[in-house]
Amino acid sequence: MKLLLYVLCALVALAAGVAQAHKPSDSYLTLRVENAVVSGQWDIALRDLEFAIGLDANGNGEITWGELKAKRKDIEAYALSRLSVHADKKSCAVAGADLLVDEHSDGAYAVLRFGADCGAREPATLEVSYSLLFDLDPTHRGLLRFERGDASQTWVLSPEKPSVTLKAGEASRLAQFLDYLKEGIWHIWIGFDHILFLVSLLLPSVLVLRNGTWHPAERFRGTFWDVLKVVTSFTVAHSITLSLAALSVISLPSRLVESVIALSVVLAALNNLKPVVAERRWAVAFAFGLIHGFGFASVLADLGLPQGALLLALVGFNLGVECGQLAIVAAFLPLAYALRKGAFYRKGVFVAGSAAIALVAAVWLIERAFDLKLL
Amino acid sequence: MALFGAVFAASQLVVAAPFVPRDDAVVLETLPGKPGDPAAVELRRLRAIAATAPNDPEAAATLARRYFDLAMEEGDPRYVGYAEAVLRPWPETAAAPADVLVLHGKLRQYRHDFPAAMADFDLALKADPANFAARAWRAAILMVQADYAAVRRECALLAEHVGELQAVACVAYADATTGNARAAHERLSAALARARASGIDPGVELWIQTRLAEMAWRSGQLAQAERHFRAGLGLGFNDNFILAAYADFLLENDRAAEVMPLLKGWVRSDTLLLRLALAARRLKLAAGDKYARTLGERFADAALRGEKLHLQEEARYLLDLKDDPKAALAAARDNYRTQREPRDALVLIEAALAARDPAAAAPALQWLEASGFESENIRRAATQLKALR
Repeated sequence: MKLLLYVLCALVALAAGVAQAHKPSDSYLTLRVENAVVSGQWDIALRDLEFAIGLDANGNGEITWGELKAKRKDIEAYALSRLSVHADKKSCAVAGADLLVDEHSDGAYAVLRFGADCGAREPATLEVSYSLLFDLDPTHRGLLRFERGDASQTWVLSPEKPSVTLKAGEASRLAQFLDYLKEGIWHIWIGFDHILFLVSLLLPSVLVLRNGTWHPAERFRGTFWDVLKVVTSFTVAHSITLSLAALSVISLPSRLVESVIALSVVLAALNNLKPVVAERRWAVAFAFGLIHGFGFASVLADLGLPQGALLLALVGFNLGVECGQLAIVAAFLPLAYALRKGAFYRKGVFVAGSAAIALVAAVWLIERAFDLKLL
Repeated sequence: MALFGAVFAASQLVVAAPFVPRDDAVVLETLPGKPGDPAAVELRRLRAIAATAPNDPEAAATLARRYFDLAMEEGDPRYVGYAEAVLRPWPETAAAPADVLVLHGKLRQYRHDFPAAMADFDLALKADPANFAARAWRAAILMVQADYAAVRRECALLAEHVGELQAVACVAYADATTGNARAAHERLSAALARARASGIDPGVELWIQTRLAEMAWRSGQLAQAERHFRAGLGLGFNDNFILAAYADFLLENDRAAEVMPLLKGWVRSDTLLLRLALAARRLKLAAGDKYARTLGERFADAALRGEKLHLQEEARYLLDLKDDPKAALAAARDNYRTQREPRDALVLIEAALAARDPAAAAPALQWLEASGFESENIRRAATQLKALR
């Protein structure tokens, strides 16, 4: 008898949607705020609705579109009573607008489109409380996606964490811009290869090449002008390629990009030991700056670019990189200028430092080009 | 095979956007279990009983047990959720009945919450020291955690309450993993033969045939292993474990072609889909890419929920199907924190080898030394890894 049972199970399992997966129960809830209008879409698995309120009216083991449509009022009553939306702590009236169907990896889902009446003013915050299916299946999760303008954030709602407060409103664009600005600053500060490239090019700024040897620069004006040229060239170059890559106009394989970045640091550092380029370091900064831009672009891609606020994110991130860069230069320049006459700077920092940078960058180059891990 | 491919392809064509079906008669979902079938009838009956007797732990436990069995058979985690809900009136405290605590433990271990599961089984044994189910599950979890001394202690306690077959099986399982696969195989085979006289529960036999197959495999007796696998599969159960183990056996012995018919129809199970994808990749079938992509979507779905129940499979997927050694190593290391069975060690060592990071696999190498586990595969990988240092 048991054997027959198991064989039956196997046959039924085979018939019931070969390509569909089994996973724990999830629902997909999207909430949108656009110009003071709050709306949403809720995908709930037919299996879950069947278990909770029953959909299979004729009991034949299949749920048809007709059976689902017939239960629309019940589904809305059941689901929407387990969702509460408050705008700025005032309750919103939620009402069903439409019923459709969608497929997810584990089967068919009912798609409830609804609207929330939260008053005429654009809400600053939305408080969402979720309790669908928790009484029947504590492993159920509500996967909430909140879209405001072109940004979106996701949360997982569970019996342990059934509520969440969402920030809506106009402040969002500024907040987004600042977010990307901060990311730009952060990523130049942790981008040692970018920093070492820039520093290698700037180490000679407080010196002057005469007859093949380096002497301390006479006046600050010359140094300042030199630093300005190098930093500006680097900035312009990497801004160009960062934008082109972020907008998907050009795309280069990351292994190539990372290797060339490492190479640029080696060459810039070696140039201090055996000067090949002195007056035209700004040109080197520009040329390699183009490649560094691709490196930044991959970071930005990892952060995720909101499709509508692309420019906002790009400008914010780029400005952040420049701010971070400027901070480093502003810290380095006065110090280097003050020390430029001493042997500590000319032998220690300039020579030994450049050699050390070249060595480290050479290791990076080997690691990145041959996909190894030496350090 | 072609039909399978067509069905699979059709499912991929489904647009990921909501739609309105054209006809009321369109079937949207086929429910698990046709209404007339005995399993569904039984389930409905148990649900009704539990509903009318909400304070009866027996009724709840029976229903929860049925849900759990369904979860194991189908590989469908929703049933675990239903079981948890049914047991909610009897939370995991000393006041709950032993049977309910054992069920809590089984549900916890299904979701890989091993410390909580062990605590549940402990409470069950305090209430009922003769509860051999709790004892056996403790031994099983300790095997996953590779604490073989503790396993043997549990087996000794288990032996006081069960027949010879189960007692021998418990110890043999530990012995086979600590360098005595051949002897363990002989002892367990003999015990199985003796137990046939008084009849064996098919579920128990399935477990034993799977273990015997693994023991024979490890001690190099491949034909014998094949016989055990066939015997287990011949019992007619749906069982993820034996299917996965046999698929691994076939893959390791260059018989990937046999994996396809074996696992046909099991795409819905993540663990078996992995083996299908590996075999299809090995055989350079077009389906290999589709399977791999589906697997990626499954893992992404799980990540959305913030769950990591299939890290071993994900590590294997990242290593052998996505060719991403660094990500595979990260997943394998994360996995090894809670699960230390031989397969977990193998994927960690192989990922560390591919990512050229021997230090990362140190715990697995230590386990290999300490346990004396017999496997050409793992030992070879470990030797190569150590040579990297």
